[in-house]
Amino acid sequence: MTAPVLELPPYTRQSPEVEARFHKLKKRPVTLDVNRLTKVFSTPQGEVTALENVSFALHRREFMCVIGASGCGKSTLVRILAGLESASAGEVLVGGESVSGPGPDRGMVFQGYTLFPWLTVKQNVMFGLKMTGHSEATAESEAMQWIELVGLASSAEVYPHQLSGGMKQRVAIARALANQPRILLMDEPFGALDAQTRAQMQSYLLQIWRQVDITILFITHDLDEAVYLSDRVLVLDSDPGRVGELIEVPVPQPRNPRQFLTPEFLSAKKRLEELIHPQQRDGEEDRLPMLRMTKVGDDVV
Amino acid sequence: MEEARFEAFRAAVRQDNTDPQAAETAAAGRRANKRILRGITPLALAENWITPEQEKDYAALYTVWQRIALGELSGGLSQENLGIVSKNWADMSAVSPSYNSRNFPSEPLLKLIPEGKSEVKRPVFLPAPHEIIARASEDFRGQSELGDLNVWGRYLVSIRTIAGGFLLVCLVGVPIALLCGTFSFFSRLIEPFVDFFRYMPAPAFGTLLIALFGIYDAPKLALVFLGTLPQLILMVANTTRMLDTSLLDAAQTLGANRKQLVTRVVIPGILPNLYNDIRILLGWAWTWLIIAELLGVKAGLTEIIDTQGRRFHFDHVYPIILLIGLTGFLTDQFLAWFRGVIFPYTEQGISASARSAARVLSKVSPLRLKRALRAKPVTVAT
Repeated sequence: MTAPVLELPPYTRQSPEVEARFHKLKKRPVTLDVNRLTKVFSTPQGEVTALENVSFALHRREFMCVIGASGCGKSTLVRILAGLESASAGEVLVGGESVSGPGPDRGMVFQGYTLFPWLTVKQNVMFGLKMTGHSEATAESEAMQWIELVGLASSAEVYPHQLSGGMKQRVAIARALANQPRILLMDEPFGALDAQTRAQMQSYLLQIWRQVDITILFITHDLDEAVYLSDRVLVLDSDPGRVGELIEVPVPQPRNPRQFLTPEFLSAKKRLEELIHPQQRDGEEDRLPMLRMTKVGDDVV
Repeated sequence: MEEARFEAFRAAVRQDNTDPQAAETAAAGRRANKRILRGITPLALAENWITPEQEKDYAALYTVWQRIALGELSGGLSQENLGIVSKNWADMSAVSPSYNSRNFPSEPLLKLIPEGKSEVKRPVFLPAPHEIIARASEDFRGQSELGDLNVWGRYLVSIRTIAGGFLLVCLVGVPIALLCGTFSFFSRLIEPFVDFFRYMPAPAFGTLLIALFGIYDAPKLALVFLGTLPQLILMVANTTRMLDTSLLDAAQTLGANRKQLVTRVVIPGILPNLYNDIRILLGWAWTWLIIAELLGVKAGLTEIIDTQGRRFHFDHVYPIILLIGLTGFLTDQFLAWFRGVIFPYTEQGISASARSAARVLSKVSPLRLKRALRAKPVTVAT
């Protein structure tokens, strides 16, 4: 006996305002153009293709999530975009110009905590500005603005080890934004946070995104997070990683947590679920072998 | 000068050859008589007629014989021995009234008859704690028979050697280690050699170091240097490699170039761990110091340990060993505390006093000073 499943509208159905928004979005200039990107690792066991012919484009001020099963090459993709790894083939264009190697035009927030422990919050945010040749005084006043934006003005003089995980990631966002990059790459930045902090950070991030002229590419494996945050969700198939589908999220902007249970949200989430676990049919689970030591009575399950 | 002395030596040997028998007997007689002359030493030392340094000073011993013979000193010698002394003094003074190594009787002198208390004194290897404490307080106040073996003077010499050697090894080793840890090219170039060198014990180079650097301070510094260098390079290179690579990734995405990566991320990033390595290596340097101070002219605290140990004066040795131990321990404790002062951002093991010292320090940091100078003076309206 299976429980009745909620009837959902197709995820491709968009309300007129959402449709108009996507129409406008696609007319905006392209900030990031990824063109037939391929990455092959050579290992002692032979060559492993991590990414194959990945192509997509991000428009200015778009928020895109990349989602996929673990090991599908999401992190490799974002590291190539950041210039920390080189692609085997294909090219990456930022604002129409081909890039290779890391640069301050692409900010990045990492999954782990990468604040410099020997610098205070303020000095951390000033780091990029000083690297790119700003004077101490300019860097300081600009850094303070970004720190205020992420709501940490009162902690400007403390060292990272005194901050909570969520605060550390907020500083990391401020630090990446301080260089005023064209695009912000985020590699599962809230992965290490507890559920409550994560929800809070998602709403912080959306607020920041609304206030700042920034294009965001956000890697995650959390379906709710992907649907809640993005304009569009790029689904990466695994082994080899290639673009499965680019989903336009039919949930209207601006987002708020109440939308988590709307039909549009659930239909998009359901579609992502199908794409990420395609082999799994309704009601079926992978069976584990039964342990012989336990006697399972039928009054439990 | 050298040439002339050598010629004189050759002439003397030729002279001996003209009458080999007589020369040999006379020389042997003088040697035997000098041994008899020294026979008075234990008594002279016990009665403080001579200082320990005069133990082989024949002129001083000669005077002692003279004064006993003239009845100025007695020291409880038996009548028999007093007779021997005056008989011998008569022979010696007949040849020369004061000591002269060439003009010394070769005819056999009389030997002193052994005298002594029936109690046999054995060296005490493990003196009682209160004896050590008493001896230490004498030694450290410079009141004991160590004489000019001033403990604090020696201590200063030891500290100078270890500080000099260690500073040198840090100046040379840390940059090499940083290169090895940062760039795999240097690591592959240097570390295999260092790894090999590490297994050759530094004291094995002792005689070579003396030949190269003489017998005073230089070979000692060199031994501390050689003993510590391989360990330092390997340890610090490893510490450098352990730096979280995601910090380097982050810095690169923030626009840091290669040079900035080293100066702004690698170096500040490893400093707290580098500091710890240095602390551990300083302990090793003390080990090398003890061996180093035996090279060439013995110096420092080891000189006291070695000399007094040979004389079985272990009550002088233990205080010195304790002094070395205490110095190492207290230095280490201080350095551990000081780590919290200069690295207030590290997470564990910072005491409250270190934190407050760090706050004071940060108030006088150059950045703050600059800002304080820039700040406008507050005008108070009256």
